[in-house]
Amino acid sequence: MSNIAVSIAQLLYSGRMSEENSVEALLEEARLAAAMPPPEERLRLREAAGFSRAHIAATVGVGRQTIANWESGATDPTPPARLPYLRILKGLAEIYPPPAAHGDPVAALFTQQPSGPAPAPAEATAPVPATFTGLETLRGPDGRAIEGDPGPCVQCGVETTYQSTDGRPLHSGALCQPATSTPPAPDPAATAPIPAPVAPAPASAPAAPVRVSPVPSPVPNRPQRRAKSADRAQAELAALISRAVQEEAERAGGDEDAALQALIKRAIPDVMHLFDETRATARYDYTAYPALPDILKKPSKKDPDQIWEARPRFHHPGYSLKAPGSVQVTALDVNAAYLSALKVWLPIGKLEHTNGGDGVGPKRSGVHLITPALWIHDHLPNPLGDRDEPGALWVTDATLRLLLRLSGPKYGLTEAPEVHESWTSGATENFLDALRKLLGAAREEAIAAGDTLTLEYIKAMYSKFISTMGESIHNREMVRPDWMHNIHSQAYANLWGKAYKAHQAGLKVIAMMGTDELHVTGDWRQVFPEGRGVSQMKVKHGDGKASGEYTVGVAL
Amino acid sequence: MAGRWMDFGQYGAKGAPGAEALGTAIESMVTGIASPVDSERGLAARLRYLTATDAGYEAMDRAGIHVSPRTLMAWLAEERSPNRANLGRLDAAYWDLRRRNVAADIKRRLHNDGRGTRVEINPVNQSAVDRKHQRDLSTRSVNVRDLDLWDRAVDAWMDDDLEELDAVWDEIIEDLGSDYDAYSNVSSIGWAA
Repeated sequence: MSNIAVSIAQLLYSGRMSEENSVEALLEEARLAAAMPPPEERLRLREAAGFSRAHIAATVGVGRQTIANWESGATDPTPPARLPYLRILKGLAEIYPPPAAHGDPVAALFTQQPSGPAPAPAEATAPVPATFTGLETLRGPDGRAIEGDPGPCVQCGVETTYQSTDGRPLHSGALCQPATSTPPAPDPAATAPIPAPVAPAPASAPAAPVRVSPVPSPVPNRPQRRAKSADRAQAELAALISRAVQEEAERAGGDEDAALQALIKRAIPDVMHLFDETRATARYDYTAYPALPDILKKPSKKDPDQIWEARPRFHHPGYSLKAPGSVQVTALDVNAAYLSALKVWLPIGKLEHTNGGDGVGPKRSGVHLITPALWIHDHLPNPLGDRDEPGALWVTDATLRLLLRLSGPKYGLTEAPEVHESWTSGATENFLDALRKLLGAAREEAIAAGDTLTLEYIKAMYSKFISTMGESIHNREMVRPDWMHNIHSQAYANLWGKAYKAHQAGLKVIAMMGTDELHVTGDWRQVFPEGRGVSQMKVKHGDGKASGEYTVGVAL
Repeated sequence: MAGRWMDFGQYGAKGAPGAEALGTAIESMVTGIASPVDSERGLAARLRYLTATDAGYEAMDRAGIHVSPRTLMAWLAEERSPNRANLGRLDAAYWDLRRRNVAADIKRRLHNDGRGTRVEINPVNQSAVDRKHQRDLSTRSVNVRDLDLWDRAVDAWMDDDLEELDAVWDEIIEDLGSDYDAYSNVSSIGWAA
C-alpha cells in the first residue's frame, strides 16, 4: 500500500517518461508477484546459478538473512526489493528450467497470467496462439452473437453464455485474454542469451491445442434463443402471480371465498403491473391516453360508442328447440376465449383518419367504416353477428380482417366489404402476447394442479384487463377503447373460425352465441380436442334447456 | 402560453392549447350522478344533493335558481317538476357543487402520497401538414412532482381560470427540455390518478 502511495507520489512529481516507467514497473512487479515461485524453487534457482546469498542480497539491496528467510519460506519478498529479486528469479528460471523435462517448466509459473487483467508487457507478451484465431463467434442472421447455456470459455476459462461456431463456449468475438496460453512459444535461444544446457520444452509449445476439447460439441442446427433473460423474466412474473395467491390465501386464513374476493379486488392493479413488466425493454411505447375520435367516445356512461363488435347470436333457421325431434346437439364452450384473443393486431399510437381504403393494411389496425356485402349462407353464422340494420357501420380491424379473409380465394364465401373511411395507426400483433403467454402458462399450471383459486384469479385478471382498458373509473392506467373493441372482435372471429371448422368437418352448427358458445350436431370429438386447454373445447353445462347435450327438431 | 409557435394551425396542425387539455383531463376525473337531469331518478338525486347542505343552497343561488321554499318542497316531493330552464340551472348547480366537493379528492389523487403524477403528453396532430412543414414531435411524459402545481391547476380548473391553467401548463412543459415550446398545444394529455 505504502509502495503504491510512494509510486503515485513519484508519478505526480515526475515527467511523463518516468511516469510511464513507474507504471510499467508497478505492473510488472504485480505480475511477477502473482506468479512467485515457491521457497524451494527460489533456493534451487540460486544454487543452480552458483550465486551466494550475500551476492544476491547486495544486488537487490537487502540483508543476507532476508534472502535466507525468503528461501526458507519464513517470510515472503516485500517491496522495494521484491521487484529486482523476482526479476532475477525469472531470468534464472529461463536459464535453468527444472530438471524433470516433461514437467511443466518453471517458466510457466512466471508467465502464467493471473486469470484476469493486464496484458503482458512487451518483454513477456506472446501473440495470441494461432490455434484460437480459427474460432469464430456463433452469430444469428442479424449478425448478433447468440447466447446459449453458460460454460467455461475454451479460451480463457471464465464462464460465458456465448459460443463459437462449433458450439463450444467462447466469449463474444473471442476478445478475452487467453488464460494459460502465454508460455512464450519459446525459441529458448531468443529469450535466453546465455547458451546453457537447456532442456527441450516439449510441453510448452503444444500446450494450447491440448486445452481445446478434442470432441467438438454438436453444432446447433438452428439459431438458439438469444434472449436467455426472457425466460428468467417470465419466471419472475409467474412468481408474482403465485405470490399474490399465496399472500391472499394466508391473509384469509383458509377461507377460500375470502381469499378469492381479495384476489379479484386486486386483479386490475396486478394485471396492469404484469402488463407494464412485460413491456419492459419493448420496442414500441404505446400511447395510453390518445385523443379519441368521436365514434369511440361514449355519449354517456351507459350508452355505447359507435363501434360494432360483431358479437354473434346465431341460431340455425332449420332447427328449433320447440319442434319435436331427435337431432342430438352438444353445447360446446371455448376455453379462455378472451385470453386467446389477446393475440390481435392492435394500433400502437393515436388513431389517424384516412378516407377510402387507405387505412387498410397488414401493418395497420384500428376501426373502419364499411358497407358489408350480403351474407347468403343461412347454415353458417354471419361473421358480422346479428346485425339487423342495413347500411354502413363501424367495425374493428379484427372483424375487417375476417371479412377480407372470407372474401379471398381460399374461402370465397362473400364479397369484399367496401371501406369508406378508417381511424387507424401502425399496429403490432405482439403487444399483449407476452402477457397472454404468461397468463396462459400460469392457467395451465393451475389447471394441472387443480388450483381453483389461482385459476379464478387469472380469469379475473385477463377479463378485467380487457373490460377496463377503455374508459373506466376502475382502471385509469390507459384509455384505449379501440383495443378493447379489437380484442372482443378477435374473440368473436376466433369463434367463427371454430364454427367454420366444425362445418367443414361435416357437423351442423346449430347455434353460436356470446363469446365462447358453439352448439353442433354429430361427433364433435373428431374435430376438436376435448379438455380445458386454450386450444381445446369442453361441453358447456348450464341452467338453460340448451346446455350439455340436448335434442332439437327440424323446424317447419 | 409559451409562444414561439406563432400561428398555430397555419399549415394544418390540429390540437388544443395545453391549458384546455389540462382542464379536460382534470374534468375527466370528476364522477357524479350518471342519470340525466330530465330523468326522474337524475332529478331526484340532484335535488337531494343540493338540499342536503348550506353549500347546496349557495350553489343554487349562484346558478340563478330563485324559487320559493314552497316550490322547492314541491320539487322534492315530486308534486311538481321544474320547468326546462330550471332543470338546466339545477344541473349546472349540481355540477358546480360537485366540482367543489371533489376538488379536495382530486388534489389528493394527483398528489399520490407526495409522489406526484406522471402526465402523458400527446403532440398535436400533424397528419394534415405537409412533410416539409412538419415538426418532429413524439409522445412525451413528464412526472409532475410539484404538489403545489397540482393545487394551483385544480383551483384554476374549479374557477374556470384559463390564464392560471395556462401558467401551470407552461411550468409543466418546462421539464420537457429544449423543445418544450412545441407542446404548448397538444392533441391530448392523460394520467393515471
